[in-house]
Amino acid sequence: MSAPVIDITDLSKFYGKARGIEHVNLEIGEGEIFGFIGPNGAGKSTTIRILLNLIFPTGGSARIMGMDVIREAKKIKRQIGYIPSDANAYHYMDVQEFLSYCMRFYRTQNGTNRITELSELFELDLKRKIADLSMGNRKKVSIVQSLLNNPKLLIMDEPTMGLDPLIQAKFFELLRSENQKGMTIFFSSHILSEIQMLCKRVAIIKEGKIIKLEDIETLRRRQLKKVHIGFGKTEDEENFRIPGTEGIITRLGNTLTFMYSGDINDLIGSLAGKKITNFTIEEPSLEEIFMHYYK
Amino acid sequence: MNMNLFLKEMRRNAFSLILWMIVITLLISVTMSVYRTFLENQSKILGMMNLIPKGALQFKGISNFDDLLSVLGFYSVNNIIYMMLLGSIYAIVLSSNVLLKEEYNKTAEYLLSWPLMRSEIFFSKLAVLFLNVLLLNLVTTLAGFICIEFVKTGPFNIKAFLILSLYTLLLNILFGALGLFLSTLVKRPKPITTLGIGLVLIFYFIYTLSKITESASKIGYLSPFKYVNINAISPGYRLEPWHLLYFAVFSLLLIVISYRLYIRKDIYL
Repeated sequence: MSAPVIDITDLSKFYGKARGIEHVNLEIGEGEIFGFIGPNGAGKSTTIRILLNLIFPTGGSARIMGMDVIREAKKIKRQIGYIPSDANAYHYMDVQEFLSYCMRFYRTQNGTNRITELSELFELDLKRKIADLSMGNRKKVSIVQSLLNNPKLLIMDEPTMGLDPLIQAKFFELLRSENQKGMTIFFSSHILSEIQMLCKRVAIIKEGKIIKLEDIETLRRRQLKKVHIGFGKTEDEENFRIPGTEGIITRLGNTLTFMYSGDINDLIGSLAGKKITNFTIEEPSLEEIFMHYYK
Repeated sequence: MNMNLFLKEMRRNAFSLILWMIVITLLISVTMSVYRTFLENQSKILGMMNLIPKGALQFKGISNFDDLLSVLGFYSVNNIIYMMLLGSIYAIVLSSNVLLKEEYNKTAEYLLSWPLMRSEIFFSKLAVLFLNVLLLNLVTTLAGFICIEFVKTGPFNIKAFLILSLYTLLLNILFGALGLFLSTLVKRPKPITTLGIGLVLIFYFIYTLSKITESASKIGYLSPFKYVNINAISPGYRLEPWHLLYFAVFSLLLIVISYRLYIRKDIYL
């Protein structure tokens, strides 16, 4: 791996006595699309806000492209783009005004062309007031502003919140294309499927600590499913202790619910000869994944 | 300082500045327009004023009825107090919001992701504060001057008028610095505007209380209003060096502390 674009060492942040993050270590290489996943309040935004010098760490250090995030914040920010989770731009400006205002901080040569190109891609009306835009359109404005300076590193905090699926697909396509040109992407989300769709590596953060750092392929191979099976009569839970069944099997009436990471055919095979009234397989919530894999 | 940020802030605050200029100018014009009527009916009015308790008049800044007969005395008693109060309220409202509004509107998340140092943000906003307060003072002083020129019945001491205006500016800047300081103390955005306005009024109340109550005369030194000499028609009226020092030291101190706090402040959103 080349020199890390993001290098976080033993980073901690406490808000008084309340925990933000504790001893976080991360290295993200050049050209990576890195997923940062965890439930709300796990410490994702705290980590990102330290990287952006919005808040100061209580311990440890963070470097971006070899530069210290506190001492060399301005130099770093010339080369990064950021999509915040709340798309609260200056509500009294129109879209064009806001993007031009943002562009002037970078003093880029082709800024106006870039605004036109990106706003056409995301079908943004440049004349509309930001206050009048829907959440999705504000998010689009936020995406466009983050890419105006052709950043080497893009940091995104819940970037798809409010985007419709069509625009989301277009956005992901753009991210893949920018990544192929060399852009590193740090993608924070609480939606596992999004991370799986785009990222190559993922860090899972829980209660301020990184509890797992692995390739997305490994995660995919161990894909966990939540299974509900309704039976015509009461069935013994122990009959379903087949390889791949994870953790506790819960019962509600004649319905059994459990986590399963094995081959679905084996599970279906174990149901042969039983009277089934309902059979559902769904993606578990992150909290459920944490409970079953990482407790 | 960053010119892009500075110009955006100036445009953003222009409407409010113009509104404050209009309000204060109107107040000055309306008050000064009655000066000649006041002179024509001075015996009746002074007679009526004799019935008002001295303390109540002092609360309004009138310590000697004769002061009201000269145009500068009339101006300083009737207008300067309003200009000092309203100008200071404007300054503290502006300064307490100029940095903090980026936090409570959550735009700080954008601002701090763009290539800007915190010091650039601070000094750009400080420049906006200074220029706005200066413009307000220039326009209202000019309005005061024009009104005096219109209603005067004889010559007036222009040097004393300018010193009086300078005192107003210094007071406004001090309250501006205080507002800035308050905004850097708040960790989570809260409506500190009300607190700022309250502080201006409390300081004014302390000042007037110290004037009308002998036993409370010492507490007047706690109020910045105490260091403003509004008695522009007194002989030898001048800008007291230690008053100037008071305003310069406290304003600078508050600004330096605010700067130190802001560049290390956690921006919560």
